[in-house]
Amino acid sequence: MSHYRYLLRKIGWSAFTIVFVILLNFFLFRILPGDPARSLTKDPRMKQDAVEALRVRFGLDKPIINCFDSFTPVRIGSCSVNPLETQFFIYVKNLFQGEFGISYKTNRPVSDILVERLWNTILLIGAGQILSIIIGVVFGVFAAWKARTSIDYGALLTGLMAWSLPTFWLGIILLFWGSNNGLPIGGKSTPGASTYPLLFQIGDIAEHMLLPTLTYTIVFMGEYMLVMRSSLMDVLSEDYILTAKAKGLSTFQILKDHALKNAMLPIVTIIAINLGFTVAGAIQIESVFSWPGLGGAIFEAVESRDYPLLQGTFLLIAISVVLANLIADLTYSYLDPRVQSE
Amino acid sequence: MNLGTVTLQVVIWWRDRKVRAVFCVHVRQHEVNLYFYEEHHFMDNDYILEVKNLKKYFKVGRPGLFSRADHRVHAVDDVDLRLKRGEVLALVGESGCGKSTLSLTLIGLEKATEGTILFEGADITHLNDRERKAIRQRIQMIFQDPYESLNPTQTIEEIVSEPLVVHGLAMNPAERKERVRRALEDSGLKPAESYKNRFPHQLSGGQRQRVVIAGALVLEPHLLLADEPVSMLDVSIRAEIINLLADLRESRAISVIFITHDLGTVGYFADRVAVMYLGRIVEIGTMTEVLENPQHPYTQALLSVIPVPNPRLRKKRVILQGETPNPIDLPTGCRFHPRCPVAFDACKETDPYLMNVTKTHQAACLLLDQ
Amino acid sequence: MAVQELELKPSVPSSPLVGFWKVFSRNRMAVVGLVMLVALVIVAGFADAIAPYDPKSYAGIQSSDIYNRPSAAHWFGTDDAGKDVFSSFMFGARNSLIVGFFAAFISIFIGGTIGVVAGYFGGRIENFLMRFTDMMLVIPDLPLIVVFVSLTKPSLWNIILVIGLLGWTTTARIVRSQTLAVKSRKFVLRARAIGAGNRHIIINHILPLVMPILVVNAILVISLAILSESTLAFLGLSDPLAISWGQMLNFAFGRGAMSVGAWWALVVPGFGIVWVVLGLTLLGNGLEQVLNPRLESHHLMPGKTTLRKEAGFHQLRKPLRDSPVVLDVQNLSINYVSDDKPPARAVENVSFRLHEGELMGLVGESGCGKTTLMMSLTRLLGSSGQIVNGGVIFNNMDLATVTEEELASIRWNGISIVFQGAMNALNPVRTVGDQIGEAIKKHLPIETEKLVEERVVELLELVGIAAHNKDRYPHQYSGGMRQRAMIAMALACAPQVVIADEPTTALDVMIQAQILELLNELRKKLGLAIIFVTHDLGVVAEMCDSVLVMYGGVTAEYADVDTIYNSPRHPYTQELLKAFPDLSNPEKRLTSIPGYPPKLDALPPGCRFAPRCPLAFERCSEETPDLHELGNGHVASCHLVEGS
Repeated sequence: MSHYRYLLRKIGWSAFTIVFVILLNFFLFRILPGDPARSLTKDPRMKQDAVEALRVRFGLDKPIINCFDSFTPVRIGSCSVNPLETQFFIYVKNLFQGEFGISYKTNRPVSDILVERLWNTILLIGAGQILSIIIGVVFGVFAAWKARTSIDYGALLTGLMAWSLPTFWLGIILLFWGSNNGLPIGGKSTPGASTYPLLFQIGDIAEHMLLPTLTYTIVFMGEYMLVMRSSLMDVLSEDYILTAKAKGLSTFQILKDHALKNAMLPIVTIIAINLGFTVAGAIQIESVFSWPGLGGAIFEAVESRDYPLLQGTFLLIAISVVLANLIADLTYSYLDPRVQSE
Repeated sequence: MNLGTVTLQVVIWWRDRKVRAVFCVHVRQHEVNLYFYEEHHFMDNDYILEVKNLKKYFKVGRPGLFSRADHRVHAVDDVDLRLKRGEVLALVGESGCGKSTLSLTLIGLEKATEGTILFEGADITHLNDRERKAIRQRIQMIFQDPYESLNPTQTIEEIVSEPLVVHGLAMNPAERKERVRRALEDSGLKPAESYKNRFPHQLSGGQRQRVVIAGALVLEPHLLLADEPVSMLDVSIRAEIINLLADLRESRAISVIFITHDLGTVGYFADRVAVMYLGRIVEIGTMTEVLENPQHPYTQALLSVIPVPNPRLRKKRVILQGETPNPIDLPTGCRFHPRCPVAFDACKETDPYLMNVTKTHQAACLLLDQ
Repeated sequence: MAVQELELKPSVPSSPLVGFWKVFSRNRMAVVGLVMLVALVIVAGFADAIAPYDPKSYAGIQSSDIYNRPSAAHWFGTDDAGKDVFSSFMFGARNSLIVGFFAAFISIFIGGTIGVVAGYFGGRIENFLMRFTDMMLVIPDLPLIVVFVSLTKPSLWNIILVIGLLGWTTTARIVRSQTLAVKSRKFVLRARAIGAGNRHIIINHILPLVMPILVVNAILVISLAILSESTLAFLGLSDPLAISWGQMLNFAFGRGAMSVGAWWALVVPGFGIVWVVLGLTLLGNGLEQVLNPRLESHHLMPGKTTLRKEAGFHQLRKPLRDSPVVLDVQNLSINYVSDDKPPARAVENVSFRLHEGELMGLVGESGCGKTTLMMSLTRLLGSSGQIVNGGVIFNNMDLATVTEEELASIRWNGISIVFQGAMNALNPVRTVGDQIGEAIKKHLPIETEKLVEERVVELLELVGIAAHNKDRYPHQYSGGMRQRAMIAMALACAPQVVIADEPTTALDVMIQAQILELLNELRKKLGLAIIFVTHDLGVVAEMCDSVLVMYGGVTAEYADVDTIYNSPRHPYTQELLKAFPDLSNPEKRLTSIPGYPPKLDALPPGCRFAPRCPLAFERCSEETPDLHELGNGHVASCHLVEGS
């Protein structure tokens, strides 16, 4: 019974956070200074009525919300305006219909762009995370097992150094080295590759993915290694390990049956906490390698002041992270029986 | 009881205040001390503490939409106590019986749910923070764990002067140093100079407990609540702490409520014993009466299982079955009946009150009615 | 339960600052990190004086100066505008460091305050603050920062504000949990009992103990802030006129350094970031080790080999009974070895013999070596414990020198241990039944899962635990039940010897009696030999056949129980009995033994008890007493009994 309540509570809070993010997303763009309509066109010579026409087209002429026509500057309007006609409501309505607006720059629906980009990012992040978790955990286990030997010190130092590298810089260095050695200089695939057979396309994408994934892996593997090492060392100092040893179990048996499961729990938590960094990493890597993903989309949107794209990307990223966190929390509660009887 | 100390106490009036002068000669240590205590005018029947119908209930679980309204833990459930000046009362019981909650309620760290606490004649059950603070000067507490009771980042001097600082007493640094020195030396840490600048981790367990006692003494309290002060110390040094408390009781006329689960430790030190079970006092009397003629089946069982360090006296033990109960689901009738080896039908329905065995000895058992 | 009986008190000098510096300087990581940081701060601080060129000035720069290779004039070459990279690096350090520190300061201040307030005041305030923090934690940082910064003017102050205002979440969480931990410690309760108010408690008790964690976290936050700043600058969201490493990289990357092959413009600024962040990380990690010294060792680290010994085996005593000897410990000596201190002689020359069906009490106080002795029997000492003399004869083998494989088959099967059943002696994430079954599967030739399960149930019922509990977890058991489960587990392979290490300490007196009764019954029923380790003389008197009294790592006295209690010959035993309460004689005034146990790595010559012994004389502090036989197997190590 109580486990269900725990689940419900967690889901409830995630929902609340998502609502908060949606509100934040909307008001953030309306509160900070800068007239979006002006930025639609960088051309200062555009006539006033043309600008007005643009404004109407993007729905920017409507009041933001009842009583407030706009926030910058604060202009009070009529409170009895039909709420369905306010920007806020239209925004929410569109959200639920999956409509994120039209990109200022490319005039395409933002939702189309997002869907395209989402899979690319997932591909990149997925590969990178999986590799870094595997490598990091394995090295961490060895480091803890052989604590205070040269293996341990070596792993520790490597991990600390990897953790200190700025993601984008590592990407730059690798790209520099890679492009001088025949690897592609960016993008997801060679232009025109779509006309080639599938196997070649896959190979092509893999070649393009190599360096960004490598960057990703190196940066995150350090942290997983350090966390796994300290978590396993903590577990191995617990009393029940001594009990297991007293029972005559071999070191390998103890690691397998007693230590690893307990030591993995913080990793699950870390993966969840890292989601924010994962996304940050994606933004940096995608910019450096011109990978067509969500991170790159944010970056391009910022560069060209493409607010609908920026808004849509931010919302999608934030919601994905919230959901991923929820999944991590729920997974943790299934792994640790102590949490269930809260 | 001859501890090598001769005490003379005189009550005088000084500047409109009643002051007790205590003149104390420690024969063995060749020392003479003179203390002054401000007497607070109170009922002349000499009771320093009177507790009537004290109850402390805790709410259980998280309040929310679905919780039941009156799900409460009856940690202390209708307790009566009286303590004279200079008297030592041992409060005995197992975990969950409410003895710690009782002491926390007496000192005001927990608010009583019902009942009255009279201290030196004044009702201290419901006080606001400021009034409570004034009372705290006269009731002090010692905790169980000497390793945790002291802040590891403070020096001994800081620890012992903290109560003075908190109450704004002895503002003059010289006076403060003197009071701290006196408290440390009265607790057996002589010379005080060599301990003042040390940190807790540099002292042994026994020394740390003495620092805790010094910290309680520096305010010159009238009542000391000692919550298992020696349970975490080695057996070979427990006696020194207990003897210290006994000395202090003699020289300063401090009353002590000594909470313990081990009756053996206080056999010679306590005047009276109260046995608690599930929030109630089930037996109370002088030490001799309770040890030699226990009336309540729980007391009898407890006494029978306490190991005696003499293999020739291996005795018949009454070992109660089952877990130590916890006060959430109280049984009907007598609280002890589910585990009682001599329970009979009426025990399931009637909840017995304390009944007189002698003038000073009471027990709450239906068997006494027979 | 951990073998931590050696309360070797560190000798800390009177000033805490000096003491801290001493420990700090021994930690290599922390020192290296500090040096790296200081070096960089000096370079940044003195950039005006040191830098060969002024990066703000275009004087004397021509277009041919763009992207020049490193040379004598320009040690690290020039950048896309012809400016000297090295000088820009030094000035860039300033901005990177300044933004990092200031932004971190804001984060730490906000996070620390929220953490302390939430942790200390609890209730609704905590609920609200923590929910808010959790929410902010989940929302990804960089996109939010990017959005913020893109909507405002790019300037260093904006960047500082934005990074600072969004980076406090982990600090808040860490500070809150530390505040909660400190708040529940007894000395805070004591402060409240004295009458201290919230303000006094927070300032004098909470903050000093939260500070260390906060400092370590602060270092981490600074490094993250510096990384954030450089990322933002690289993405072009910072003030292009402010030189910082990230900005240098932004220019280089965006202005063709790669295609021209100007690696110096890319490597040098990045190197600066790595240097600072690595320095901070090393410093932070090192500082954490200094402030929270975890024993950097664990149970699976390889132990030390037993030294060659000359077991001068005493014919200790005539057999107590006709039953055969199951365990024969001869002259066992154990040291704890460490790199920077002389070895601690934790156990020296202890011998005893355990017969079939015998219940031996091992009595001693903290630091006397009894747990060390017990753990050494099946070589369960940690990585620093070493058997330096003697032997442990069991089943015709010397357990002190057998191979690991042979030892593994003896463990539990021949000799098992009932640990103190505190929360952690059983694995909290596995069911109790599972853990008992594990022992069975390891040693007994039982084939099917079902048979193992049956045996588990049989064992549990033997100790009075209902069968359905086998699928529950340790935290669902009460204290008494856990102890019974430990006993059941110890009996799983029908061993010959069971070591019960303080099995009833921390349990209520009534539950204690239940457990003791259970052990006694089982012993009689199953013919076990039990070693019962305790400090409680009363329990020993009730149950044991023989008693070994230890003090400071040596045998003080060893005899059958009646002799020990009624005619003890060693002063320590005598004093101990005097200090122990006796309800059959409640008026007896208890005495105590002044002083405290000896430091095992700095033992004075002579008898270890001499400093505290009321009967000590000159010879006691010069010559260590031998173990003297007193007839009937009774031995005592005291000069006073010589020649009896």
